Amino acid sequence: MEPPTQFTSRMIANGQIAEGFYELSLAWEPGVAPIPAPGQFLTVRIGSGAVPLLRRPFAFAGFDAASSVVTIIYQKRGAGTELLSAKRAGEPIDVIGPLGTPFAVRDTRIDTDNNVVYNKYAACINPQKHIIAAGGIGVGPMLFLASSLKARGIPARFVFGCRNQSFIPSVKTFADANPQICTDDGGAGFRGTVADYVNANMSLDINTTVYACGPLPMLRSVNEIARTAGAKCLVSLEAVMACGVGACMGCAVPVAGGGYSRVCKEGPVFDGKDILWERM
Amino acid sequence: MGTNVDLSVRIGTNVFANPVGVASGTFGYGGEYGGLVDFSDIGAIYTKAVTLEPRGGNPAPRLVETPSGILNSIGLANVGVEKFISDKLPFLKSLPCAVVVNVAGSTEDEYLRVIERLESVDASDVNGNGTVSTVNLSGLLRRFAPRNDRHCERSEAIQIIDNGSIDTGGVNNNGSGVFGYEINVSCPNVNHGGLAFGTDPAQIERLTSSLRRLTKKPLIIKLTPNVTDIATIAKAAESGGADAVSLINTLVGMVIDVKTRKPVLGAKTGGLSGPAVRPVGVALTYRVKRAVSIPVIGMGGITCADDALQYILAGASAVQIGTANFINPRTAGLVSAGIREYCVNNGVSSLKDICGIVE
Repeated sequence: MEPPTQFTSRMIANGQIAEGFYELSLAWEPGVAPIPAPGQFLTVRIGSGAVPLLRRPFAFAGFDAASSVVTIIYQKRGAGTELLSAKRAGEPIDVIGPLGTPFAVRDTRIDTDNNVVYNKYAACINPQKHIIAAGGIGVGPMLFLASSLKARGIPARFVFGCRNQSFIPSVKTFADANPQICTDDGGAGFRGTVADYVNANMSLDINTTVYACGPLPMLRSVNEIARTAGAKCLVSLEAVMACGVGACMGCAVPVAGGGYSRVCKEGPVFDGKDILWERM
Repeated sequence: MGTNVDLSVRIGTNVFANPVGVASGTFGYGGEYGGLVDFSDIGAIYTKAVTLEPRGGNPAPRLVETPSGILNSIGLANVGVEKFISDKLPFLKSLPCAVVVNVAGSTEDEYLRVIERLESVDASDVNGNGTVSTVNLSGLLRRFAPRNDRHCERSEAIQIIDNGSIDTGGVNNNGSGVFGYEINVSCPNVNHGGLAFGTDPAQIERLTSSLRRLTKKPLIIKLTPNVTDIATIAKAAESGGADAVSLINTLVGMVIDVKTRKPVLGAKTGGLSGPAVRPVGVALTYRVKRAVSIPVIGMGGITCADDALQYILAGASAVQIGTANFINPRTAGLVSAGIREYCVNNGVSSLKDICGIVE
């Protein structure tokens, strides 16, 4: 894995895409910053004062090789993201990335049509069936994964769940993923959670890989369903981070067999079987 | 006005060329920041605490942001001394900055055994000519080959040579890789993290003098602010033979989630760091400087050169950057450049001339 880069990027766009959800796109420095892969994240310094003090981590929601632009999707839920949502196109932004272990094992080649070429996905060697499960703001990295799988000709089912239809992202990448929508109130799509939908409507077996990102209860349920069916479940976890590079051990989560793994380094993507869910 | 400023700092038998280090626990074992910093900008890396056996650390969550600070409860998670020697030390030794190994333990015996083990490696490893071994760092360091980046003006200090290893330009840690030891007797986050030593002058003196018999390298005792009188503890370290004291470790704190009515951190309490604690650190540096004659290494909330200068004016001979590494990994380099600029602008030819001049 190539080491990350710190550089001053430029905001390209920053706009609301659902209730409290924003999509931010920023310039990726070609030739300097390594190409991000689905599951990886960046950290940004929001503002220059004491609030927020720490950099904030955000998963990549997409990367366009032709324009060298990355996107993130974030939820306004604290002082940091409040400040971030007020930033406008053209503003500079201090970025470190790409960070963390991705879903994909990456081949950093860009082909003649300027498409990023990914080599084998760790989980995609045998399975015939791919299910992408996204809950709420966990949709970001899942859209990146969906577009990468699609670019490689790997069909995947995309299931997205949220509280009600005001949280459904209005972005092209979301529509492109051809999502099965689930809402808690049944106002759009399936009434119930992502886990409910997968349990009731999808057949999982040993040839299935489920990729999941979302709130902890959702990840727990989806992992349980997948594992019971003998399927592989890869989860992307969220944690409060300080360094983002594996130095401070602050984002550690308990793992099966004892000890801890760092969400920022060994993660954020983990095989669900490796997480000690009862202590999460 | 000339630009030659003497920033060097003698600590026992050794000399820091640059007084600005990165604090233990915030910089891992150095390699984690590969690609993000120019190690020649850093005066010293104080490693993550090393204990005799590996430690997994405390239950999650381990971190929460607080007003102008962070509260952490990592719990000395580390690879243990054997893995440190086999997996971490070769990289650290290749770096063009000083390496201070931070050592922690539950018992006096544990501290002694870690130092003994580290000393045994050094003794078998000195190559006698002041050079250090090189490792293949092409992936980590090639980013610092000179290029058009405003952050990397001083990147020439690391020269990439054609086989991908680095030439450290003769800068070394006394030819043996380890500059000295920082003894952590002040971790607030584990029951047996040495805090029992750090709060008892008699134990501090005994531990320090036992360690003193094992090494000629600089011994720096890292002090806790969680005591009634830090000066008494510092004097005990000095009496035991310490070459310097470093302060402050974190302040014990707690954050409670009023919705769940539970502490936010898995270990309930944690250690507070960041700009919020800076005035505490400056005051204790001022106090300790007046109590001992060995150098004081100051830390706590330093984010820029002016913050560091507060510590220096209060009595610190050198400083460490902690929490600010998380905000900008390049802080140490920016701080040392800023200190130099301050000296040039104020006609200070040696940092020693302004150390502790606040009355």
